[in-house]
Amino acid sequence: MKILIIEDQKELLKSMVGYLESENYLCETAEDFQTARQKIEGFDYDCILLDVTLPGGNGLTLLHELKKDKKADGVIIISAKDSISDRIQGLNLGADDYLVKPFHLSELNARISAVIRRRYFDGQNLLTFNELVIDLLAKTVFVNGKPVDLTRKEYELLLYLASNKNKVVSKMAIAEHLSGDGAEIFDNFDFIYTHMKNLKKKLSLGGYRDNIRSLYAIGYKFEV
Amino acid sequence: MKLLNKTIRSYLVYSSIILLITIPLFYVVVRHVLLHAVDHSLKSQMREIRNNLSSIHSKQELEIWAGLDKDISLYTEPGPASDSIYTRYVTNPRHHRDEDPYREIAGTISVNGQSYKLVISSSLVENEDLLGSIMIVQAILLILLMTGILWINRRTSKKIWMPFYSLLNEMQHYDLNKNNELTLKSSRISEFNELNQVIKNLLNRNYEIYLQQKEFTENASHEMQTPLAIIQGQLELLMQTVPLTEDQAVLISELEASIQRLIRLNKSLLLLTRIENNEYAPAATADIEEILVAQLDSFHDYLEKRKIRRVEKFEARPVAQCNIALMEILISNLVSNAIRHNITGGTLLVETGPGFVTISNTGIDKPLDAQKVFNRFYKESSDTASIGLGLAIVKRICDMYKFQLSYVFDAHMHFFTVRF
Repeated sequence: MKILIIEDQKELLKSMVGYLESENYLCETAEDFQTARQKIEGFDYDCILLDVTLPGGNGLTLLHELKKDKKADGVIIISAKDSISDRIQGLNLGADDYLVKPFHLSELNARISAVIRRRYFDGQNLLTFNELVIDLLAKTVFVNGKPVDLTRKEYELLLYLASNKNKVVSKMAIAEHLSGDGAEIFDNFDFIYTHMKNLKKKLSLGGYRDNIRSLYAIGYKFEV
Repeated sequence: MKLLNKTIRSYLVYSSIILLITIPLFYVVVRHVLLHAVDHSLKSQMREIRNNLSSIHSKQELEIWAGLDKDISLYTEPGPASDSIYTRYVTNPRHHRDEDPYREIAGTISVNGQSYKLVISSSLVENEDLLGSIMIVQAILLILLMTGILWINRRTSKKIWMPFYSLLNEMQHYDLNKNNELTLKSSRISEFNELNQVIKNLLNRNYEIYLQQKEFTENASHEMQTPLAIIQGQLELLMQTVPLTEDQAVLISELEASIQRLIRLNKSLLLLTRIENNEYAPAATADIEEILVAQLDSFHDYLEKRKIRRVEKFEARPVAQCNIALMEILISNLVSNAIRHNITGGTLLVETGPGFVTISNTGIDKPLDAQKVFNRFYKESSDTASIGLGLAIVKRICDMYKFQLSYVFDAHMHFFTVRF
């Protein structure tokens, strides 16, 4: 999978590349408007991460050109602007998602996988991890072919961990992901423990060996 | 005291004093002059009579002459050695109560070697009437003069001070947020023009500083987002490093918590500046109950975990004219505030009624400082997750839409009410 990251902040670019490459994505980068335009015109990407404010031009112009050329690349806008009108403008121009800085890399990764999945696995959205199967369309989970009855939050938690498999995902990132955009976050993560406990119990009842490892103080890791 | 009243008051006091002094003084003077004139006339009459006595030769002639003039009385006894003038009051036969004043001169005349007492009298009634008329005219004139002066003075003062009052009025309606240009009337009085100019300059300078500050907050918050994103990204990469010891994990976790706090603080500051910049202009009809229920549901996990009882009393379906996103933020902040400062096993009570919503909670069992509770960074508890901007944002939104926000502590509960 090939990803183009358009971002003018070198350090941020570096950390995104670092995280995504370890997820086996092939990352290309552009730090200004012209480079970005050349790369978009010259190659096809599975997903483009697009910063709005770029030296030499506005990222939304690139999005506009991309859609005019009828290119199928998935686009996630990464912006420091989080006002609703900015979001609506970006999504109306045809972006697949809109992520506000600062964000968790695990969240970015989960959104990239969602965009790529939507583009390539039409109709048969199945994620398989040995005996565990996640049906993305029906939002159901199977262990050894038998359905596991998960609550919405438990399902979202599992999918989030699965999207960031073999990565340490922090409690904060999980809390933010489960609470949704703009939700107030408390310093109390007890509710995550409850969801996690229930999820693990339900999976192991279906006969799935426990692959979700809890890391002291930080968070969790879904090991495959 | 009003400025106009203040200037006129001195005039009024001065006029009254003058009026009170001049009217009696005038009375005394005029009366004296009139009396003097009568006396003069009596004396000259007496002199005239004495000069003409030579033409009278007998007592009969004298009596006939005296009988011709009812103002002259003749007595056979000798009169005073020298002429005396006095006032005598005679009861008026027609008006029993009144005593008419008469001015009389008494002197001695001699005819044919015989001395007689001669009294010439002159009625003062006409003089008194004249004096009365003069006094009335005088008083009317004085009062007219004074009131006229006062009226003219008041009118000119009003006219002169008009630029001042219009300036005052403009200043009262001035809103720094809107910086509505002052429409100041130019005046022929240079001091007022100067004052207008000085105030205009002052306001412009203030507005510029205000803009700069707003811009600074906005820029600072924006600029902070990128480094914060970088730190957070690097931290997540650091989490992935192997081997990760427990000590390192604790350090990373604490770092992440601080970064998250900074990010939330920054977001709140950005939100505040955006509200102040009126970036949420379009208003719509917000269904308070719908937003409230959605927000309460989103906090379901937290409520359950802390065993907080959720009580709903929906009695009316209030609506408010405002930006929906802002109303969501307002309700969300009030609800999260009521959860954050609640106690385990406490109560979260939400009530709606015609034109109001109340969100109340159990918590520390003493009232908060109602003056400060909506201030930025005001904190009652040591909850580190609280950044102290939630209620300030609520206040700002309420101010923007002229909603009334109030805080009351009653029956061990903290009540926050918004009236639309």
